[in-house]
Amino acid sequence: MLEISLKKQLEDIEIKIDLRLDEELLVLFGPSGAGKTMALRMISGIVAPDEGRVAAGGEVLFDSAKGVNLPVRKRKVGYLFQDYALFPHMTVEENIAYGIEGAREAAGKKVNELLSLMRLAGLEKRYPHELSGGQKQRTALARTLAAEPRVLLLDEPFSALDYQVREKLRADLINIHRIYPITTVLVTHDLEEAFMLGKKIAVINNGVIEQSGTREDVFYRPGTRNVARFMGVRNIFAGVVSGFEDASVLIDTPDIGVIKAPHPKASSLAIGAEASFCIRPEEILVIRPDRVLGRVQDNILECDITGSIGKGSTHILYLETGHGRTPLKVELPNFVVRKLELAVGRRVKVSLKKENIWVIP
Amino acid sequence: MDLFPLFLTIKVSFVATVLTIAVGLTLAWVMAKKDFWGKGLLDVVIMQPLVIPPTVLGYYLLAFFGRSGWLGGVLDSLGIEIVFTWKGAVLAAFISSLPLFVKPARAALEGVGADLENAARLLGKTEWQVIRTITLPLAWRGLLAGAVMAFARATGEFGATLMVAGNIPGVTQTLPIAIYDAVQSGDSNAANLLVLIITLFSFMVLFAAGKISRGRL
Repeated sequence: MLEISLKKQLEDIEIKIDLRLDEELLVLFGPSGAGKTMALRMISGIVAPDEGRVAAGGEVLFDSAKGVNLPVRKRKVGYLFQDYALFPHMTVEENIAYGIEGAREAAGKKVNELLSLMRLAGLEKRYPHELSGGQKQRTALARTLAAEPRVLLLDEPFSALDYQVREKLRADLINIHRIYPITTVLVTHDLEEAFMLGKKIAVINNGVIEQSGTREDVFYRPGTRNVARFMGVRNIFAGVVSGFEDASVLIDTPDIGVIKAPHPKASSLAIGAEASFCIRPEEILVIRPDRVLGRVQDNILECDITGSIGKGSTHILYLETGHGRTPLKVELPNFVVRKLELAVGRRVKVSLKKENIWVIP
Repeated sequence: MDLFPLFLTIKVSFVATVLTIAVGLTLAWVMAKKDFWGKGLLDVVIMQPLVIPPTVLGYYLLAFFGRSGWLGGVLDSLGIEIVFTWKGAVLAAFISSLPLFVKPARAALEGVGADLENAARLLGKTEWQVIRTITLPLAWRGLLAGAVMAFARATGEFGATLMVAGNIPGVTQTLPIAIYDAVQSGDSNAANLLVLIITLFSFMVLFAAGKISRGRL
């Protein structure tokens, strides 16, 4: 278990971090300069916070109220630096063995275990400058695990790697975390990575945690407009509550007209109140022209396709409803775009299904 | 031909270099790793011997270490005499060569990234272990190059040495002073030989320092 409650005033921003996690992997996600690395540095003790408390596995590492500030070497915090910080004058083997305490024989055994687990066997006599990026990263991770940390902090562990290597090493990390279920905080600004690795995600912006929860919560039910933006929810609209219908709320927006959205449970929206909602670009349905709309469907909009951008295996279409300037963004697989001949200039009908809409609290 | 100046110079330079390394390493480490009030001023003071005229430096040393000087009085009561002894020559050589060691040593220590040292701390190492296993092994080339430069500077020290240790043949007459003496007294054979020795030595030192810092020695 790791409990963090920290504050630090920096020149340009104030960092305020409050997090609790069990023996799990939490992804700390946020844009560059949001304070992610600073958060890890404060947890590890490399940088002293102004005030707060850090406790790991029942032991207090830092508590400004009680004057506790354990030196870095006694915290048993594993830290993977963004550039790995391998000791350049030591071999792979020596790097991994560096933090192991106790008898030489036991250390040798442990090093061998980690070498094979990290797919580094055969490289033990190499120096860091003779390794590829992925091998460096695995050596650094092995060195960190060898010291048996109670908390693992990973600072952008994949950012310096090629795309293919990254994929493989992410899978490796999930596997390693299964074998060594250490409380882990992984910092990243890569959305795909956050979703793939973090069952729990905390979104940090401007030094503050804006939302933390399960990845589904953060991904589909963002707590703030910023979180929605960072999570790739590209359709965010603001409007005014114009009425209620069953369990739904009607929101009148200048951009796409009146939209029927699910009524948020714990909120008391009144007519005339301002409200924002969002829908992910891949959750918008394009309705085939020949399709008969049997059951009444929600939020059918007729739009002009005003833009189309290929994104590898998908396309992003920009749709204008004629109401306002902000277009809807719809992400569709390429084969759908081809089959329905969705080119710029065509008119299409789309549906913003109610259950895919999230009203931002 | 009296070779006393050569042997005295080697002895003085050796002792001065040991002092320079001991004091200079501490200074360089503090300058490289610590932030404190007055750091800029300390840097200016350490670097002074590079720009201040040697006679001025010698004058300061006399003022401090002379029998009526601040430190000189204390040392005198302990029975230690500095001025007009070979120790005076060591003092002058030490102070003049200090900046030549501190500058590259500081750069070498700064060159060892803070995160390498942090990584070692995170793996449970004490500050002394970090210095011994990470900082020094990674900085030794720069430190050695600095030490070689400091030694060379010490062998060539003239102005401040003359002020503090004087020119007493057989007692405080170092090589550079002996050359001056030989030229003054018209002994061009002795002057030529001593000049040749110093010139060859200086060439060797600069070659060695260059090779060490580029990692070829």
